[in-house]
Amino acid sequence: MNLPSWAREPLVHFMIGGAALFTFFAWQGEPADPASRTITVTREDRALLALQWEQTMQRPPTDAELDSMVETFLREEVLYREALRLGLDRDDPVVRKRLANKMDYLAASMAETAPVSDATLRQYYADHPERFAGEVHYSFDQLYFAEKADAKRALTGPKSGQSISLPGNFTRATRGEIAGRLGSQFVDALDSVAVGKDWAGPHASGFGWHLIRLTRREASQVPPFDDIRDQVEADWRSSTEADRREQAYHALRDAYRIKIAR
Amino acid sequence: MGRKGIIVSVAAIAAVLGAGAWWLSQPKSINPAEVADAERAVTPSEFPDRPLFGDTHLHTDNSIDAFGFGVRLGPEDALKFARGDEVTSTTGIKAKLARPLDFLVIADHSDGLGATRRLFDAPRLLIRDATLRRWHDMMHESPHQSQRAIAELITAAANNTLPEALRDPERQKEATKTIWTAGLAMLDRYYKPGVFTPIAGFEYTLMPNGNNLHRVVMFRDGFDRTSKVLPFPGIGAGPVDGLWDYMDAYEKTTGGKVLAIPHNSNLSNGLMFELTGSDGGPMTAAYARRRAAHEPLVEATQIKGDSETHPYLSPNDEFAGFGVKGWELGNLPLTAKTTPDMFAGNYLREALKRGLSIEQRTGANPYKFGMIGSTDSHTALATGDENNFFGKHTGNEPNKVRALAPQNLGTRVGRFGWNYLAGGYAAVWARANTRAEIFDAMMRRETYSTTGPRMVVRFFGGYDFAENAFEGDWIRNGYTKGVPMGGELADNGKAPHFLISALMDPDGARLDRVQVIKGWTDASGKTQEKIYDVVWSDMDKRRAVNGKVPAVGDTVNRADATYTNTIGAPELRKVWTDPDYRPGQRAFYYLRVLEIPTPRWPLFDAVRFGFELTADAMADAVAQERAYTSPIWVGPAKR
Repeated sequence: MNLPSWAREPLVHFMIGGAALFTFFAWQGEPADPASRTITVTREDRALLALQWEQTMQRPPTDAELDSMVETFLREEVLYREALRLGLDRDDPVVRKRLANKMDYLAASMAETAPVSDATLRQYYADHPERFAGEVHYSFDQLYFAEKADAKRALTGPKSGQSISLPGNFTRATRGEIAGRLGSQFVDALDSVAVGKDWAGPHASGFGWHLIRLTRREASQVPPFDDIRDQVEADWRSSTEADRREQAYHALRDAYRIKIAR
Repeated sequence: MGRKGIIVSVAAIAAVLGAGAWWLSQPKSINPAEVADAERAVTPSEFPDRPLFGDTHLHTDNSIDAFGFGVRLGPEDALKFARGDEVTSTTGIKAKLARPLDFLVIADHSDGLGATRRLFDAPRLLIRDATLRRWHDMMHESPHQSQRAIAELITAAANNTLPEALRDPERQKEATKTIWTAGLAMLDRYYKPGVFTPIAGFEYTLMPNGNNLHRVVMFRDGFDRTSKVLPFPGIGAGPVDGLWDYMDAYEKTTGGKVLAIPHNSNLSNGLMFELTGSDGGPMTAAYARRRAAHEPLVEATQIKGDSETHPYLSPNDEFAGFGVKGWELGNLPLTAKTTPDMFAGNYLREALKRGLSIEQRTGANPYKFGMIGSTDSHTALATGDENNFFGKHTGNEPNKVRALAPQNLGTRVGRFGWNYLAGGYAAVWARANTRAEIFDAMMRRETYSTTGPRMVVRFFGGYDFAENAFEGDWIRNGYTKGVPMGGELADNGKAPHFLISALMDPDGARLDRVQVIKGWTDASGKTQEKIYDVVWSDMDKRRAVNGKVPAVGDTVNRADATYTNTIGAPELRKVWTDPDYRPGQRAFYYLRVLEIPTPRWPLFDAVRFGFELTADAMADAVAQERAYTSPIWVGPAKR
């Protein structure tokens, strides 16, 4: 069977089931008060239990199975109502956390797969250039020395470094690439070097000491929207999800007066 | 508001939400042409110029056990974290990698993909199976109980006694399809060719009687191909030939490519690298070829221990005991003990040797594999650094007790938190950071395994490397006059030369030594191994005595978990010729690169949280992190 994907959404099942249940109980005149001392299991209730069974197990329940489901339902319902009466739902961290999670889930679940218009994304892109800015690119030469004194000497003398399996020059390399090959200490040093024809240093790295000649430093630019549309969307999606959770929370929180004793 | 009013408003809310859910639930995948364009914009270098570091083995909340262990971070958090973003771990701790990874394979268990989350969310009333209902209750009761429930689940999976509802593939299929497809679309969204490469995969969890025969299966392709298949179930299935059939069918129907990576052979009770075929009969050439073609790599190291070798198998190897403690006791859930006769089928070095002797007998080598490391983290956080270890699973994210707590999946005693390694990474000599280039480098085994640090290791074999081979463009020479790690040399009657270079991790510790590990079959067909210290730091001061190089020293301050780089070398390199070469010999050579001693994660924990390690844990709190390269094989020329 080829159901449209929305029909397979648990959320849709939940909504429709919930609406059906509510309509049913309202029409039945069943008091929805969990503290009531009357529990009526109607034919329709049984039918619903049987249907849910069938959806899970792919076959209708036998009479015995249905009876036992009703028994389980009654047992849980009785204990549940008594528990509510005794206030056991309060001060229970598991119940508390579980309900809080459900609320969070409701608020956030929808952003995950929502289609989004280009206009929305363009706005988001315009509002958050820092998130999409490309990296700074560096072009430079480096000479390696095991000892600082040798590097110092080379600064004023002939420019020949010591042998090591590191590239002697980098062209348009990103910070990430440089950090990967020469380490974070070296990248940090690179920021203090002036662009030009002169050798600078000695600067330390995990390997030892370096003289650096920085020929170009290209500032970061934000790539055109069309080139990074997918990245913008992924970013928009996760931030929208987080925002919705926060908004939903704040809408609710605003209705509370909160006092914290210090 | 009267009852009618309530009914109307509830119905209206339900209708709006229902419509919203429909509108929102159209899966969003990237147009394959866009992905291909982005890939084409990246020009591969002529020869690989830097290793790409990644994790091929990460679990998220879609894994049946990971969810039960408590993780609530999914694939998206995993991708963000791996590419270098800060995320908040399940237990609320801010987490960030000191350096991003270049690629990531999310390898959730194919069996019951998303099943524990569904069990957790299911209405209790509808859970008919008593065991499932008990697990459901335990998962809701507390994190601790949830972890116990999952330990029971893993044991049940190992014993093949999982409740029917979790085993029936048809019943799992729909749910699996939804999660798989959404996951694949997300991988394409996060794919930035040249910068960060998410790769599709899953874990095939074959585990007869709890003996670990797990494989990570990873694809070369994007959504357009991978969405045509579903992950292949492993529990209760087997033998492994079924997985290879699945892989063949994928390649045939989609034109794509897929490979498999066995892991935790150390927990297989001798079954991972057997001398027999999977049917128990003698290994045939056809079987050997098939295995080698589908499984070009093996995970040598990860959180659940190191599988390079065991002191029992390599009694003359003073560095053989790394990551062995605890794991050597038994199979994965500790339902069966490991006996010494099983070790040979558990460890990679012995498997490489077995491969040579099977090749000698049948003409084909089933165990001609390269090596990688990975994490196998179940926290959605691919952490590999000792000072940033987020645990095997959410139950042991950073906290004061994890290092010393018993960590038994089953009920038997023996493994402790400190037995976990902080994880490993896969280093891949790809020509560019794209799916195709990474996959192809893995197929040619041009990879190495690290226990976490990012040292840069080159290894070439050939017959024309001169003593001064490191002058000039030696990397070009390596590629044009020889073969890189993972390659094969045809025996030409001369001793092979090797170009060996290891650079320290520039943000890590200096190097103690580089060793060549050679395995071969002798004239009688028996396998042998020998370890050569070929280059080490301060060679003029550290003279070898009776063939043994003295220890490098130890700068670790146990009181504050620090070390200094005052010993060791920034780079070690050497042109090396096998002094024991015999014409006609079948042999493999791989490198083991050792760092100077550094603190392991339990020592960082002890300092950070302020507690004392036990004597056992303290004895293992400092180690020499390491890398293992894929071997280079030398043997008779192929006819």
